[in-house]
Amino acid sequence: MSAKPKIAFYEFTSCEGCQLTVVDSLQLYPELLEAVDIVRFREAMSEMGDDYAIAFIEGSCSRPSDEAPIKAIREKAALVVALGACAHLGGINTIRNRHDLGEVRRFVYGDKAEWYDTYPARPISAVIKVDAAIPGCPIDRHEFVRTVKRLLQGRAPELPDHPLCVECKLKENVCLYLRGTTCLGPIVRAGCDAICPTYGDSCEGCRGLVPNPNIEHLKEVLTEHGLSVDQTLAKMTQFLTYQVMEMEAAGHGDPQPAH
Amino acid sequence: MNPMIIPKAALDDWVRLLRSSYRVVAPRPLHGQHVFGEVGSASEFDLGYPTSVLPPKKYLFPAREDLLKFRTDAQQVEATIDGPRTVVLGVHTCDMHAMQLLDRVMATGYSDQHYLAHRNKTTLVSVECLKPCTAGSFCKSMGTLSTPEVFDLHLTDLGDAYAAEVGSDRGAALLPGLKAARPFADKDTARLNRVMSEKWPRFPLRLEFDVTELPSLLSTSYDSELWKELGERCLACAMCTNVCPTCYCFNVMDEVDLTLKSGKRLREWDSCQLDKFATVAGGHNFRTARAARQRHRFFRKGKYQTDAFGLLGCVGCGRCAEACLVHITPVDTFNELYRRQHQPAAATPQGG
Repeated sequence: MSAKPKIAFYEFTSCEGCQLTVVDSLQLYPELLEAVDIVRFREAMSEMGDDYAIAFIEGSCSRPSDEAPIKAIREKAALVVALGACAHLGGINTIRNRHDLGEVRRFVYGDKAEWYDTYPARPISAVIKVDAAIPGCPIDRHEFVRTVKRLLQGRAPELPDHPLCVECKLKENVCLYLRGTTCLGPIVRAGCDAICPTYGDSCEGCRGLVPNPNIEHLKEVLTEHGLSVDQTLAKMTQFLTYQVMEMEAAGHGDPQPAH
Repeated sequence: MNPMIIPKAALDDWVRLLRSSYRVVAPRPLHGQHVFGEVGSASEFDLGYPTSVLPPKKYLFPAREDLLKFRTDAQQVEATIDGPRTVVLGVHTCDMHAMQLLDRVMATGYSDQHYLAHRNKTTLVSVECLKPCTAGSFCKSMGTLSTPEVFDLHLTDLGDAYAAEVGSDRGAALLPGLKAARPFADKDTARLNRVMSEKWPRFPLRLEFDVTELPSLLSTSYDSELWKELGERCLACAMCTNVCPTCYCFNVMDEVDLTLKSGKRLREWDSCQLDKFATVAGGHNFRTARAARQRHRFFRKGKYQTDAFGLLGCVGCGRCAEACLVHITPVDTFNELYRRQHQPAAATPQGG
């Protein structure tokens, strides 16, 4: 038996684009295959092993029938890693959480709506304990490799806890607000090397909020830069619905001691 | 050495000449702003630029830099100190003051080997500022509108030519070989005098008090309510410190390769404005409030650096004021503190 840790990939409600990025990471770092043994990876191989130490789960939990298989993975794996925005934050699947689910189902499935069971989408960590998360839509391949290295070292992976503006400024991008558009950079977790602003697109928040985001004042900034209330809400709900609704439920959740 | 004249028409020849011995960097236009980057010809840069996104500090203290390589299995450590000989063209006088402070900080106590290595390989060509660059700048109030003595070559725009004052051997070494350069004539002195006397009235004094009072003003403003007001607005995005020419905090990280046996240690700019900056071993964070972090920042700029190194930590470049999305600026902050001390009844919220 190989001494290399065995790894499995699983997918729930998602596009599997994060797993495609894993395939891409393996092309960029083929030596990764020397360090681990992949036993289940639908995007890249036909074999289906179910003996593994580390499980990467892509996708959100969006229906009652997702829960049992997610819990079964937790039973088997020593470590569970949420892979990508859907698993980490609930992802774009959570946009529906602010709407009437009956209407959403009818909109999507029409007269077949009753065929599909669904409930508010949640991140994997809302169902089982998750040991680490790799944020992003899709994930960043370098961060994926960094996370694997940390796990192989027996260390807990660390996510950057500073906002995207830091990486963006260190790359010396011209601020998108100075280029006449808006961006969620000041409240969103860095780690993607500011890839969207670098190519001129504003941050949409796929990596989730930083700890203690100043959402109230960012909303004022967005208003000052011409966004309507609806546009601001749309910005805040594309990837951030689950986190923002959790903060609302906790009575705002932006505690700032006076000094 | 007497000043020289470099005709603007010869700028391109000069850059090409310098490139045979140096990496040449200068302010390049980008999306309506300017960014210091490598240039190959005079058409790629603009020495009359307003300001740059990041200060030229980045050539002495890069945003991200390898420090050493290590092997854990062989107990080997090897310092990584490298970088090309560089000429930085077009450093504003505020940024020269900032580098004067950095030179002092980095050579004091445990000297910073990486900074000093870059510094020794870098030739600084400063330019005289002839008009205010941005609405956020306030160099005249901070006393940074003339270059300090750390320049290697200093250029003043005379219209069709630059006056070039040599400040060091390194600066003098940039001129031989440039056939179009010639020594100053009497008429050049008259032209330079006129340009220098005409420039000063163009710059406003923006502080409402004398800058020498700033450290004392801060000392007596530690408990001001203003910090709380700034803390409520601040997004803690750290743009203010990341664009600052005098900030030098960094974080050190190790990265291993996939063998897990070798890797490198690197550093990256850090910021006192970030949530976890003051988190210490055991998890305690001694500066959790944004208000306390903003206060710390302004104390660093207006008092602590003066106490420790004899130079102000703010050079009035205005980059933080231009970058801040919630309009927290040094001028407004310092003036508001002054007003609250001197007219407590008439105090108004900062920034309108």
